[in-house]
Amino acid sequence: MARAVEIDPANPAPIWRQIEEQVRRLVATGVLAPGAAVPSVRELSKSLRVNPATVAKAYQRLVDAGVLAVRRGEGTYVADAPPELSAGERRRSLRDGAERYGALAMGVGAGLDDAASELRSAWTALQRDANGARS
Amino acid sequence: MSANESPQPLVAAFDGVTVRYGKTVAAESVSLQVASGSVYALLGRNGAGKSSLVRCLLGQQKPAAGTARLFGADAWTSRVAAMVRVGVVPEEPDVPPEMTARAAGEFCARLYPRWDAAGFAERLARFGVPGDVPAGRLSKGQRGQLALALALAPGPELLVLDDPTLGLDVVARKEFWEELVGDLADRGTTVLLTTHDLAGVEGIAERVGILVDGRLVVDEELEALKGRFRRVRFASLPDTRRVEESAGMLGVGRIIGGEFGIEMVVERWRDDGHAVLGQAAGIADPEVSAMTLEEIFTAVAGNGRGGAR
Repeated sequence: MARAVEIDPANPAPIWRQIEEQVRRLVATGVLAPGAAVPSVRELSKSLRVNPATVAKAYQRLVDAGVLAVRRGEGTYVADAPPELSAGERRRSLRDGAERYGALAMGVGAGLDDAASELRSAWTALQRDANGARS
Repeated sequence: MSANESPQPLVAAFDGVTVRYGKTVAAESVSLQVASGSVYALLGRNGAGKSSLVRCLLGQQKPAAGTARLFGADAWTSRVAAMVRVGVVPEEPDVPPEMTARAAGEFCARLYPRWDAAGFAERLARFGVPGDVPAGRLSKGQRGQLALALALAPGPELLVLDDPTLGLDVVARKEFWEELVGDLADRGTTVLLTTHDLAGVEGIAERVGILVDGRLVVDEELEALKGRFRRVRFASLPDTRRVEESAGMLGVGRIIGGEFGIEMVVERWRDDGHAVLGQAAGIADPEVSAMTLEEIFTAVAGNGRGGAR
């Protein structure tokens, strides 16, 4: 996995968020299957050459969100089942992401139609990745 | 930290430190703090005052004014007691050229109560530094690795690295930062470092200080610093006066006129920056990009202070 996660120093998003979002994507697309081991904080921070505190922050957020799970004394794994969200939690989390994407789209001067069509193609690409990882 | 907890002791701190050599002012009224468990990168061009400040912290230089503090105590008056808790990788490796790595390790082991001999030997083996070759005959990279191994073996609470990758090739630099990251993961060491290898510390430093002509002009979390700096490019030449007006609103660092348009560095980017600049320039689509630490450093420390056009 270490090589599937990459840090872009020119990306305005903080490094912990870059790591968090890339791991989320690897899990969502099935590249990292449920129960798969993820590298330790030490391993990932060494291979990315980033501060271990940064990696730990990303992992902690993923554990809190139910994407990863810690088995005491063993390490960190992809959670066995995708996080079960209540309808309210799901809505909140979608709204949160939508607001960020909407602000970004508006910021670059895109209209709603363009933004929606980009979302649709991204969705298709993610589904394709997921099918590829499962076959 | 909540209000009821006692504040965490600062591992290293500069409190209004001024350093003078004759009439030359090397550092002027510098105040900064290195919190326990954090990594602070002190950046500056050659002669900006980095090494003078490091010497003050190590008790090798008496400030003309102000105080450098190690573990809360004055570094100048209490240096002997504090230095056992500090690991130093100096700018110039200080192992005598005729001394082998093994002999250097045995010599230092006697000076420190908690010397990790096994860890020292293991590090040298991992780096491929031979124990029986005089330091003067090791490569530059090997001398740097030896210096780091010597600095880490006493299990220091504070690691001070003065441009530790100076003169190392790309591979040796990467290995050096990896080793440092490994130690951070294992022990949570506090680090104060100076460096010119900005790409190397990009992901490692938590807080950054930038010295320009002896003055500390930036002292900020790296994440916040990168959040507020942006480079803006206009595809065609806009009305410069109008751009400068809106630039004032945005706190633009400086405007660089280019042959194919105009480029500027914004010091305090705002969410509505696109609209403000687009309107001012009369161009709908300015290209805005985030900046790497190296680019921010160049903008701040490059041709004098940002903002003073």
